[in-house]
Amino acid sequence: MEDEYTRILTILAESDDASAKEETLRRLFVHLKSTGRIKLLPGILKKLTAIEARRLTQAPQVEVAHAGESRMALAEAAREGIVASHARVNESLIKGFRARADGKLVDRSAKRALIDLYQNLTI
Amino acid sequence: MQSIIERIEKEIAALAPVAGSEEVGIVRATGDGIAEIDGLSHAVMSEMVLFDSTFDRTLEEALNASESPTGGKDPEIIYGLVLNLEEDQVRVVILGNASKVREGMLVRRLGRTLSIPVGDALVGRVVNSLGEPVDGKGLIAKTTLKPIEREAYGVIDRAPVNVPLHTGIKAIDAMIPIGRGQRELIIGDRGTGKTAIAIDTILNQKSEPEATRPVCIYVAIGQKESKTAKLVAELEEKGAMSYTIVVTVPASAPAALQFLAPFAGATIGEHFMEQGKDALVVYDDLSKQAVAYRQMSLLLRRPPGREAYPGDIFYLHSRLLERAAKLSKEKGGGSLTALPIIETQEGDVSAYIPTNVISITDGQIFLQTDLFNKGQRPAIDVGISVSRVGSSAQTKAMKKVSSKIKLELAQFRELEAFMQFSSDLDEGTKKQIDSGRRMTEVLKQNKGVPLPFEMEAAVIFAATNGYFDGFDPEDTSAAESKLREFLMREAGGALLAIKESKEIREETEKTLREKLDAFTSRIP
Repeated sequence: MEDEYTRILTILAESDDASAKEETLRRLFVHLKSTGRIKLLPGILKKLTAIEARRLTQAPQVEVAHAGESRMALAEAAREGIVASHARVNESLIKGFRARADGKLVDRSAKRALIDLYQNLTI
Repeated sequence: MQSIIERIEKEIAALAPVAGSEEVGIVRATGDGIAEIDGLSHAVMSEMVLFDSTFDRTLEEALNASESPTGGKDPEIIYGLVLNLEEDQVRVVILGNASKVREGMLVRRLGRTLSIPVGDALVGRVVNSLGEPVDGKGLIAKTTLKPIEREAYGVIDRAPVNVPLHTGIKAIDAMIPIGRGQRELIIGDRGTGKTAIAIDTILNQKSEPEATRPVCIYVAIGQKESKTAKLVAELEEKGAMSYTIVVTVPASAPAALQFLAPFAGATIGEHFMEQGKDALVVYDDLSKQAVAYRQMSLLLRRPPGREAYPGDIFYLHSRLLERAAKLSKEKGGGSLTALPIIETQEGDVSAYIPTNVISITDGQIFLQTDLFNKGQRPAIDVGISVSRVGSSAQTKAMKKVSSKIKLELAQFRELEAFMQFSSDLDEGTKKQIDSGRRMTEVLKQNKGVPLPFEMEAAVIFAATNGYFDGFDPEDTSAAESKLREFLMREAGGALLAIKESKEIREETEKTLREKLDAFTSRIP
């Protein structure tokens, strides 16, 4: 039962109409109380939190070694189907960029190339 | 030095960012050697994945973390095996140090199913179920990757099993012959000599000509490392490691590695079979593998069935043992013989795993605790031991001398049981019982001393032709070892003739009888 309510709320979350969302939620709470299912709420909350956490990790992320590489990185990432609004600076990349979204990774950083080189030579 | 410089130059030239994209996932939860992973929506069953511990570290941290509290090489490569594909996640079995896998870790698809390196260079080495050397003798060169799971050869590609694989154990070679490409189960309680039979079989291959000598693969599953070390030392001492590979996954290893070990052994064996060579693989033992698979399946939340084993436990063993084969000439004529071992509890062969494996294999050698304790070694119960390949996997010589033994011993066992209730026996019955006792004594054999087939044939020839009738049953065992010494010394020509022709021809039989008469006449 928790899964069904969670699925409906996930679909609701995609709606842009804030007042409709609020009204639907109000009706849901009334419905849960009247049917004695209010105890399902903690379970539903847990599932929604997990889905949100997953959504955030799967959200497009672009990291660059230097701020100057941002424009090039965003364009390259977009060519690979990863569209992000901005790039975060991560100096550990040394040079280049990496982009990630929906289980897809594009890693064109010098750090990755150096680690690959190290592993090919030593392991 | 030049080669190192060239190698580094080549690597630097290739030091370009990885083109394109790759599919990755994130570890959502981990525990008990299992990781739940978000993403990897295109992953396939049995695909290998890599847990990337370097993703969220700086380069310095990634390369200089060897002094980490957990110790070991870092960046350590931790592989995983995809075993459950679910609606919104995949479950992966961690093949390595599971304590290093943490929540939020990046996981990469490798795009290949679990594979291990195979090649001739593995001979003489001790490896784990991923094909990594564990004997401290360095890396194994010149290998190719082969998938650990594959479909067995079909009917068209197979030939009948008709070439014997001599174990060097008289009782087995005479009554339960094993053919190259056969699957013969060794089953019995703990401490009844199951491993000893397998090891003697490996040792006996030394007496085979190099051209036909099978490559032996001993797979130790969930055993004590001290036992495996002792066994490797014994094989080395007796010169058997020159044609043997040991795959070892100790009891301390993750269940996933224990479950994979026999498949690794089969993959290595198939490499030699496909080259037209013969291979012998010993799985010691499949009971422990079944327990490891049960543990893994329960952790993967697969529904438990009988004795909590998963529903596909039969398929686990059948797909493994079906890979043993004798290939047709068109396929090179190689063979892979399998000697799976099963440990029973209190001699109960009707338990779940023993009945499964009995039904899959082409026969079984059943070892009894009672016989072992009575001093009959090997403690084979000939009544319920059988080889479904039968005499087609025997040489003419062995077929000729051993055709009646099994029947005679079965009759003897019946009479022996009857004798416990009746003391008044006629002469004929007494004679038959004495003859049975003598034969039982002749078939006794210490572990670690397998006999060449021509010697086995000669000894059994002597036993079935009444040359031990002059001895008390209690003295027969000692007389048998004296006879072997005598034959080695005096009948080398006849033994050589049997070895070369694989049969006892008329003139050889005549010589053998003369020598045996001479032997009996010398005994007071």
